[in-house]
Amino acid sequence: MYSEQTARVELQPMVDLIIETRDLVKKFGKFTAVDGLSLEVPVGSIYGFVGPNGAGKTTTMRMLTTLTRPTSGEAWVAGHSVTDEPRAVRRSIGYMPDEFGVYDDMRVWEYLDFFAACYDIPENERKRLIVDLLELVDLSHRRDDMVDKLSRGMKQRLSLARTLAHDPAVLILDEPASGLDPRARVEIRELLVELARMGKTIFFSTHILADVSEICTHIGIIEEGQIIAQGSMDAMRSQMQPHREITVTVRDADAAEVVRSLVTPIEGVVSTADLEPKGGRHRVRIDYIGDDDGVASINRALTAANIAVLGFVEETRDLEAMFMRVTKGIVS
Amino acid sequence: MTDAAIYETPTTREVRLQDGAGTLRLGALVYAGIAIVVLLLAATAGIRVIPNLFDLLRGILLARYTGAADTALALVFLMTLVNVSAFLILMVGVTARELWALPALWLLVGLNVAALALLGYTPSLVAIVIAAWAGVQLGRDMRAFRVNPVMLKELRGRMRGVRAFLVLSVYLGLMSSFSMLLYLIYNSLTRASGSAAAGEVGRVLFMGVVGIELLLIIFIAPAFTAGAITGERERQTYDLLRTTLLASPTFVIGKLESALGYILLLLLAGIPLQSLAFIFGGVSEIELILSFVILMVTAVALGTVGIYFSALLQRTLSASVRSYTVIVATMFIGPFVTSIVIDFIIRLLFESGSPLVSPLLETILRYANLLVTSANPITAALNTQALLIERQAVGFWSFTLSSDGSTIPMISPWVLYTIIYLVVSALLVVLAVRRTHQTEF
Repeated sequence: MYSEQTARVELQPMVDLIIETRDLVKKFGKFTAVDGLSLEVPVGSIYGFVGPNGAGKTTTMRMLTTLTRPTSGEAWVAGHSVTDEPRAVRRSIGYMPDEFGVYDDMRVWEYLDFFAACYDIPENERKRLIVDLLELVDLSHRRDDMVDKLSRGMKQRLSLARTLAHDPAVLILDEPASGLDPRARVEIRELLVELARMGKTIFFSTHILADVSEICTHIGIIEEGQIIAQGSMDAMRSQMQPHREITVTVRDADAAEVVRSLVTPIEGVVSTADLEPKGGRHRVRIDYIGDDDGVASINRALTAANIAVLGFVEETRDLEAMFMRVTKGIVS
Repeated sequence: MTDAAIYETPTTREVRLQDGAGTLRLGALVYAGIAIVVLLLAATAGIRVIPNLFDLLRGILLARYTGAADTALALVFLMTLVNVSAFLILMVGVTARELWALPALWLLVGLNVAALALLGYTPSLVAIVIAAWAGVQLGRDMRAFRVNPVMLKELRGRMRGVRAFLVLSVYLGLMSSFSMLLYLIYNSLTRASGSAAAGEVGRVLFMGVVGIELLLIIFIAPAFTAGAITGERERQTYDLLRTTLLASPTFVIGKLESALGYILLLLLAGIPLQSLAFIFGGVSEIELILSFVILMVTAVALGTVGIYFSALLQRTLSASVRSYTVIVATMFIGPFVTSIVIDFIIRLLFESGSPLVSPLLETILRYANLLVTSANPITAALNTQALLIERQAVGFWSFTLSSDGSTIPMISPWVLYTIIYLVVSALLVVLAVRRTHQTEF
């Protein structure tokens, strides 16, 4: 195994990335669906792949699942090239497309049994597997029901159970929560967290920001076929917040002047500005680049100078504002 | 870190299956080559450039056969073609990892051994070596062969609930009423004319039932399979299957098997109705068996045409239309028109009593006629029956040329029909598999 990896060192991406793409391009005729996409999904992450409709999410996923060949560029899943080793890729992924493939005339257990058989799992192991899978997605009581009698949420959970049949390392889920009622959506979300705890990497697309902020460890934002931002959620948050805006409220203009002169020499302060007085109080806005300790030290400096500070507020930027900023407001 | 990284493509099992299938493909190619050589030799012998070539060839290729030397060569040719189709079908079966593939492989070895021992069919040696080699290659991993999951799924769906029961009941009900009607009509007709030939009523009933079954197969076999792959596309389950490890041969064969399995059920259920003819007499068991073979081969051929277009096209409707068009054109209209033309030429040449026609031309015309007759299930069935009744010929018979009175060996149409369409079906399945195997762009 080691020799194989060293032999492919040029092609092989870093070991801790389970999905990697390099300059992935997919053109349909003149239309470019994916345009030089480079993704990095670390092992064990819950990766939210976010972007507006038509941004190229599904096309990217179809390339990662070997359903569509890239026009150019390379993609690896679990160390296997999607173009050269499609079967090895298929072995390591569980794929759930955004539409549920319904087989009428099939019972819940038969549905799982069929797909387990498609993954070449011997018949004597399948029975036990189906029991376990149904238990995991909480559908044990619907074992003998017809698939098309299930609610949408249940179908989605059954679909998820199907993707797990061959114990893949990565789950690639296209809009797993779309069209679900709030309760079902929470259930799916909990299931995904549970699966991540079991060691699966989860790569899913969505345009629901709540999903991302609640469960994702990593995020990639795609627009018009290109990644415009990606990384861990923490890094993204701080990356989006290098400019902190601190508003200091004081009693009069003199105090405001003192605040400005006091703060300006502090390292990291980009600019200060007087805001319109509000309710007779003067306000100073401080543009600051720095971490939380820096913010605290500004606060301490003001207190040490004996200034009567009436308010010291840092404006928070939430995920939504972040998206609005990077996607220029196209994300729904 | 992940287990997935240590997986290889392809696995040992996949390599073994590929090797086995490759060996079998080699077998098919070798026998196709032998068939061509035999045909050329037969033609050379037929025009009698080299004296006693027939006897010489019989001595080499079919030493223990006691019949006529030219018939021996025809038999060699057919047995070679049987091997071609057997190898092709086994190749498909092996790539689809069918449970029946290994037993069928050893059966082929056994049959070839028997042909060698009983008839002295020397080309069997090649088949024995190749098939046994493939059998040894594949026998090392018996677990690679299993019940086809797609077939299982399809049959579970199709046979569930009251629907399957109802369809079968309605089918048998209609067939019984039809037989009854036929009997009554025939009875009233013969009573009017007063000449009821013994066994005639049984034969009419038998032909009626077989005819209806043939019609049924012509209509339902392509309909079952034309939607097999396009249906998955339309239900958007096709992509799901393609991301699994399900191999395209397993998928295509599974779909075909489930459709054919259902048709087989209908045919088996119809056998008691056909056997009604035994009460009246006039029909032999061999006719029953041959009719069954022709019906089943028809189902296989039409089913694979449906599968092929289902793999080729995106929508069920267009796949059905194309299947029926191709079937009607190549299996019905084409042979009918050609048959009429050949018939016309033969009539023109021979019934005028012209002595100028060369025996060679007549031989070519007669064989062309045989080929055309064997290309169509209806004429194949009718001619096979006529031969059975008039000459008691199941397989071979001698045809006396009207030009110079010499004889040429003739084959009963059902044999050629079976071989032609099994080869065509195997090739169509291979093409359909290849088509589904390609990644969409």
